[in-house]
Amino acid sequence: MQPQNTNTVEPTLYAAHKKIYPREVSGYFTRLRMLSVVVLLGIYYLLPFLQWNGRQALLFDLPARKFYIFGLTLWPQDFIYLAALLIMAGLSLFFFTALLGRVWCGYACPQTVWTEAYLWMERKIEGNRGRRMKLDKAPTSAAKLRTKALKHTVWIAFSLWTGFTFVGYFTPINELGGRLFTGDLGPWETFWILFYSFATYGNAGFMREQVCKYMCPYARFQSAMFDADTLIVAYHPERGEPRGSRRRGTDLKQAGLGDCIDCNVCVQVCPTGIDIRDGLQYECIACSACIDACDEIMDKMSYPRGLIRYTTENAAVGKKQHILRPRVMVYATILLILFGTLLTNLLQRIPLELDVIRDRNTLYRETRDGLIENVYTLKILNMDSKAHRYILSADGIEGMRLLLDQPEIEVEAGSVHELIARLQADEYNMEERSVTVEFQLQAIEANHLKTTEEARFVGPGKN
Amino acid sequence: MASVSPLPEKIPGIQKAIAVFWPSFATAIVATGLFFSAFHPRDLIPFDLDLDVNPLAAYSIGFFLFWLLGILSSYGTMYFIVSNCQVLNKQQD
Repeated sequence: MQPQNTNTVEPTLYAAHKKIYPREVSGYFTRLRMLSVVVLLGIYYLLPFLQWNGRQALLFDLPARKFYIFGLTLWPQDFIYLAALLIMAGLSLFFFTALLGRVWCGYACPQTVWTEAYLWMERKIEGNRGRRMKLDKAPTSAAKLRTKALKHTVWIAFSLWTGFTFVGYFTPINELGGRLFTGDLGPWETFWILFYSFATYGNAGFMREQVCKYMCPYARFQSAMFDADTLIVAYHPERGEPRGSRRRGTDLKQAGLGDCIDCNVCVQVCPTGIDIRDGLQYECIACSACIDACDEIMDKMSYPRGLIRYTTENAAVGKKQHILRPRVMVYATILLILFGTLLTNLLQRIPLELDVIRDRNTLYRETRDGLIENVYTLKILNMDSKAHRYILSADGIEGMRLLLDQPEIEVEAGSVHELIARLQADEYNMEERSVTVEFQLQAIEANHLKTTEEARFVGPGKN
Repeated sequence: MASVSPLPEKIPGIQKAIAVFWPSFATAIVATGLFFSAFHPRDLIPFDLDLDVNPLAAYSIGFFLFWLLGILSSYGTMYFIVSNCQVLNKQQD
């Protein structure tokens, strides 16, 4: 192998990073994207302050090991529900990707949303694309330092607010805010606020499109969900080529030119710095900035819009388009089944759990009346949002008696109650040395709140 | 055309760092979630050790331990791939 060959090896993935200065753009899709950014950021920053039944509506209370999602309280035992929710989120991503392409990347991904917000701040402080490039090239001066310092101060303040909000999803945010002002933040709370702030500052301020290109797994495998009917952002080469500059009003046929005036605006607005005219590329996050930019130019040239547009591979070559196709149906079916199962399970979920632990020190004891007695520790977990009183019963052996300290057991909302239960049975009624017995727990005045738990009852055995 | 050589020595440091720190970070989040939904931090401390551990501290330390394990694993993967590529490149030359 010749040594110069090694220099011509496809180097795109590991190309040295060049800073990208996305040019500002306006138009229909830009407004749509901005709307999405504002709504999503609004939800993120305001949601922790929303109250529900006197507590934070959405709170992943890690110290108390309870997740509050509006009216629902999830315990560590309910981890399966969260896992199901995550799987559904993943499948939805597949479904929308097959249908609409990388609409997630362009409009809803936190990386895009925060990058847009940071870019907006950057524009307000440093000016438009040309001024930003000039400022970065300019030699260090007091004015440059002032502008840069202002930008970073605003960025850091916004990052800190973001970090504070993030921790507010895990610790009640009103208390957290109070502790922030009195300077009583715990060391780990402080750490996570700073950690998340730093991540936001770095990802949205500096890494930007690098995250999409080098860190995002979805960007690498999204093409697996694509087919010829998936919505993509594409340049129309038959219409645009041969590209070239021209004067307004030039007869295109005479000049032998296509509609593309080669103004490079589509490249300048691209947040990932690619040229859409080179075809579909994995760097393209389908933000549609180039569509708006090109439409504006087409308007100025009095050419029809849509030289760069949303289309599908089939539509681009004039084939029939299919919205409902096997791939979409399969994703939709799996999604619906999962959603149905999750919903049924959540609706039928009984917020009550009973754990029975046999006394480990003594297998059994004989009472004065000649009965066999086993002792159990019972844990009653009331996962409901109300306190309840329960009645406990047990069966499994004929004539078995259950002895409790009190006939009714009261358990506060969202708490665990521990009690000792004793079972007494006649050895004569035991068919084996060890018999399965069943504890039944039933809430008073709430018929649906009942649960059972099995345990072993051990006797001396018949010889 | 000659086979493409992977040129591991050309991979910028920042991308090597991403390959080590980023997948391990994502894995650590999942591992922490699974681990602590199964075990209460209170139950992990030996009885004779009279420690009062703040749950947030326990979760955080758990997360960093998982991350550290992931970093070791990712670093190993990267090391072997890069060094294997170097060996292959030498054989090709």
